[in-house]
Amino acid sequence: MKKIHLRAALFVAVTAAGLSAARSDDAIDPAPTLKDWQAMAKQPDFSGVWTPNVSNQVQQERSNPPPWKPEIAKQVEKLYAEEKAGRPFPVFDHCFPHGMPSFMLITHNAFELLQTPGRVTLLGEVDGNRLRRIYTDGRAHSADPDPSFHGESVGHFEKDTLVIDTIAVLPQAYLAVNEAVGIPNNGDMHIVEHLHLVAADTLADDLEITANKLLTKPWKTTRLYLRQRARKYEIVEGVCASGQFTDGVDKNGNSIFAPVKFKNGVPVGSDVK
Amino acid sequence: MKSSATTWILGGCLAAAAAMVSWPAGAHHSFAVYERTKVVTLKGTVKTFQWTNPHVVIWLLVTPASGGEPEEWGLETTSPGVLTRSGWTRNSIKAGDQITAEFSPLRDGTHGGGLNSVTLASGEKLTASFASGEKAGLK
Repeated sequence: MKKIHLRAALFVAVTAAGLSAARSDDAIDPAPTLKDWQAMAKQPDFSGVWTPNVSNQVQQERSNPPPWKPEIAKQVEKLYAEEKAGRPFPVFDHCFPHGMPSFMLITHNAFELLQTPGRVTLLGEVDGNRLRRIYTDGRAHSADPDPSFHGESVGHFEKDTLVIDTIAVLPQAYLAVNEAVGIPNNGDMHIVEHLHLVAADTLADDLEITANKLLTKPWKTTRLYLRQRARKYEIVEGVCASGQFTDGVDKNGNSIFAPVKFKNGVPVGSDVK
Repeated sequence: MKSSATTWILGGCLAAAAAMVSWPAGAHHSFAVYERTKVVTLKGTVKTFQWTNPHVVIWLLVTPASGGEPEEWGLETTSPGVLTRSGWTRNSIKAGDQITAEFSPLRDGTHGGGLNSVTLASGEKLTASFASGEKAGLK
């Protein structure tokens, strides 16, 4: 964690996540101190850009499916049938985020992980709204957290493992096994993750997903991510909605986003002469 | 697409644009929509190389075998981030380039497809594969 030591001198005065334990929602987070930054040297280094092992995602989908309730399994079967027939259900319609836990389960894009005092942050590449904030400052969950796509996550380190507890995921957020097969979690979902290195640059996320509206029992599954250090693999800015436009020029010669014509969700005409 | 071309502009044709665009299902979707068991090969001229998330699109003008005016095809592939890890850049393809595209077509015959590969006029072949990013420490 030498990089983090260097950052300490630069960012001592920067406001960041709070460091004291279990505060109320209206607490003020103090600026991190040099001691706080130095304490991070004891953390395992998960920082950097991670690309998902998509082949492993597919293997997991086939070999370790969620224990769907019978009535949910019928919906899943129909979604698989629609996918096979070439009518995939749009799990990510409207460019909504994957949300949790799908962000960790089925993303095809890289994420960048940042470690700072009191917080771990995941920045997703596919869109700017793929953002996870995991508070490691000792706080408990909020009494009544606002539901969000990624939920409220608190975490702590147990030796070389980051243990993450996530609640308050929007009920509309999917528990998805691929981009065409997913069911809204429908509320009361609880996710526990154990994030740890299984090789120098291979990160494993062991997930235990409790979704009582969908599953007969908690679903345990693991996803793998691969660290990239080369600068050309740094994550790129992603704006999902930009895929609905292409480059155009208006009558004044100004560069504009020109709308693309879609049919059944896929681009079929640029309409730029 | 030449920069002087100004037909169908967003700023001046909002009403028309709203009518043309099928909102909202128009961005992030499964590629199961394409007939993956079929491969079509077409040679054409790039109209626009749309380097956007979540999917990159090559808009290709192809003259029908029977002759007549070139027809537009929308050939879609994965995201800029994944393509970068497969060796592409935003400059890999430019408007006006002559390319040969291999793709899985839309099932209903509409002029669109999920791209498998592109062969440039230079002979260089570009492909898109998640597997190319499934190693740590890529150079």
